[in-house]
Amino acid sequence: MLEENNLISDDNIARSKDLLACLERGDENGARDVLDELTRIRETELYMEMGKLTRELHDSIMAFGKDDTLLNLAQEEIPDARSRLRHVIKMTDDAANRTLSAVEESLPICEDVTNKSSDLHEKWCRFIQRDMNVQEFRELSLLIDKFLEGNTDQVKELRSKLNEILMAQDFQDLTSQIIKRVIGLVEDVETNLVNLVKLAGGNITIDFVKTEDHSIEAVGPAVPGVDTNVVSGQDEVDELLSSLGF
Amino acid sequence: MKILVVDDFSTMRRIIKNLLNDLGFMNIVEADDGNTALPVLKKGGIDFLVTDWNMPGMTGIELLKEVRADDKLNSLPVMMVTAEQKREQIVQAAEAGVNGYIVKPFTAVTLKEKMSKIFERVG
Repeated sequence: MLEENNLISDDNIARSKDLLACLERGDENGARDVLDELTRIRETELYMEMGKLTRELHDSIMAFGKDDTLLNLAQEEIPDARSRLRHVIKMTDDAANRTLSAVEESLPICEDVTNKSSDLHEKWCRFIQRDMNVQEFRELSLLIDKFLEGNTDQVKELRSKLNEILMAQDFQDLTSQIIKRVIGLVEDVETNLVNLVKLAGGNITIDFVKTEDHSIEAVGPAVPGVDTNVVSGQDEVDELLSSLGF
Repeated sequence: MKILVVDDFSTMRRIIKNLLNDLGFMNIVEADDGNTALPVLKKGGIDFLVTDWNMPGMTGIELLKEVRADDKLNSLPVMMVTAEQKREQIVQAAEAGVNGYIVKPFTAVTLKEKMSKIFERVG
């Protein structure tokens, strides 16, 4: 665009006076010359401004092309996020199955204890009401003995199943850490796409998201096949620590 | 024995707390990151610290360094229970003075073993 101060210049005032003088004295050719001159000046400045804009756009597109953030997101981070999310599915699936198995194995124990208790209770009531002969009482004593003996093992078994259910809940912490990381990635993609849209819309301001080096920062649970230089389990941690004198 | 369990996920704190109860440790206090844990530690009375690594605010490794830099706390046994399993991280934790390092997911047996080992060492 032509700036106000460019338009109002001594040269332009002189040209306008020339134009007026030519018109007043009926010099059509002279007036045309002055008008052509003014148009040429205006066009030159427009072209210069357009050229400047084009160059800025070109530079921005080139800079965007050279920046590997988007390329890195598309080629590495997104497939990496896919693997991480698949790992989340696997972890939640494993946790659900561990929990369901423990519940399924616990239910028959509960049922067995309930049946035996109600059978004993019924017999015990008959004994209280003195509605039981000696032979039946002997059988009841044996039943009570057997029940109490088995009961300790069954409660122990139930306790271990409950513990199994407890431990299966550790997926929540681990999957949340992975999902948080993927949310961060989605935000990166969003920011970069917004920049791309701004660029296409003619707004040249580009604020690239810097890819940081996360090597020693907390990175969350290792995902098989995705993370490198990680230990595969507690045994390797122990090995590494003992090599360090632990 | 009073144990402080630091983890930003309440589910994980509950798991660790239940496992510790199972091992006979009934006096457990909780904190959700290093910033909330440090005042509790400085107040005194904590005999054992179990901490996660990756937490918002102050991380577990920063908490460990703070503990080791404090005259009153520097001999406190610290065990990390974390999903961080990069070799350099384990080395970093060892250098910062961790007493035990357990990677998640872990078992009740592992927790018991590592705690006994730490108690053997620190007496």
